[in-house]
Amino acid sequence: MALRWTGRSKRFERDALPHLPAIYRMARQLVGTEAADDLVQETFLRAWKYFESFDSTTNCRAWLFHILRNVWISRWRKSHLELPLTETAEEQIEPYYDWEDEFLRDEMSEEIEHALSDLPADYRLTVLLADVEELTYEEIARVMECPIGTVMSRLNRGRKMLARLIRSYDQERGSSPKPETFMRRKS
Amino acid sequence: MMNCKNIREILDLYVDRELSPEATVQAETHLAECVECRNTVARLKRLGQAVKTAVSQYQPPTQLVDQVRRSTASRWRRATTWVPIAATILLLAVLALSAPQIRAAVAAELEVAAFHLDDARATVMEGKLLCRDCLLKDEYGYHAMCPTRGHHGSLETSDGKIWNILDGQASDELIHNPKLLGRTIRIHGRCFRRASSVEVDSYEVL
Repeated sequence: MALRWTGRSKRFERDALPHLPAIYRMARQLVGTEAADDLVQETFLRAWKYFESFDSTTNCRAWLFHILRNVWISRWRKSHLELPLTETAEEQIEPYYDWEDEFLRDEMSEEIEHALSDLPADYRLTVLLADVEELTYEEIARVMECPIGTVMSRLNRGRKMLARLIRSYDQERGSSPKPETFMRRKS
Repeated sequence: MMNCKNIREILDLYVDRELSPEATVQAETHLAECVECRNTVARLKRLGQAVKTAVSQYQPPTQLVDQVRRSTASRWRRATTWVPIAATILLLAVLALSAPQIRAAVAAELEVAAFHLDDARATVMEGKLLCRDCLLKDEYGYHAMCPTRGHHGSLETSDGKIWNILDGQASDELIHNPKLLGRTIRIHGRCFRRASSVEVDSYEVL
């Protein structure tokens, strides 16, 4: 038993702990700076508890994101209201026809973060898993517990929504307070 | 052959490298010819990169890293408690062996184990030939019959153990010739540990 635990702890240190920075930055995007530490700690405690069930042939980072999402849903999201996504609309992938002008510049981190926080949480999580963590659609689908088609539509709509929000904040920057948005912040 | 409408419907998959190799080739053929689509791809990639840059600038506080390590480290220490437990058991065993009764019991158990592991083994034994009865007389006051029946040669090995020499053609001299008493003897034969006896095939007087 003891030897088994020792081997398990070594594997946990080798396979899971190196992903702490990735889990932290995602947690920060989901619940904000204040609560991120708690979310990360609870994620790793749960990961340790269920580490025996982790299939070492799969992506440990994706497995940790799945746990992070479950912890977030059970502990944080339930206490926040969010407008539900219309899944039927989600299934349609729209082309990028309204996306022709240049709007991205260097030093836009503030606008991007502001825009991310205004994305519906499932869109935000999907975009971050693809663009920041570079997970495959299949891995994202497992993390989000949804079909790959839903991943594709959330990515498509999420990126477009993100681009519009960034452009909008950039245009209004400096001349007025941050614009009112139709989404709730930090679910 | 892809056109602008087709490719813009699959831009995400192209940028995320999720297209099949065939579809990727078709997309790249179109992109090589279409500046507008190429620019759209570039913008989409730039958006992804900008998001990555904005989000990746944050690193977990050292305090958090320590807390996570500590909270799991306490479990690792619990997992390795077998080391102090083993050390305690060993210490208790050593202390227990200092008690004569326990030592005798352990010795008896070890002897039994040795019987099973080592009985009837072909061996070469070396030791001093002594009269067993005289030795027991000196040490324990045994009423030896040596003056009337003669001495009875036995082999004392360096560990202090006395081995009976079993009767046989090759062993007759060893048992009954008093001139050999006190000599160092090397016996080739078989050892019956359970009976503390040795069967002699041949021997040498050293």
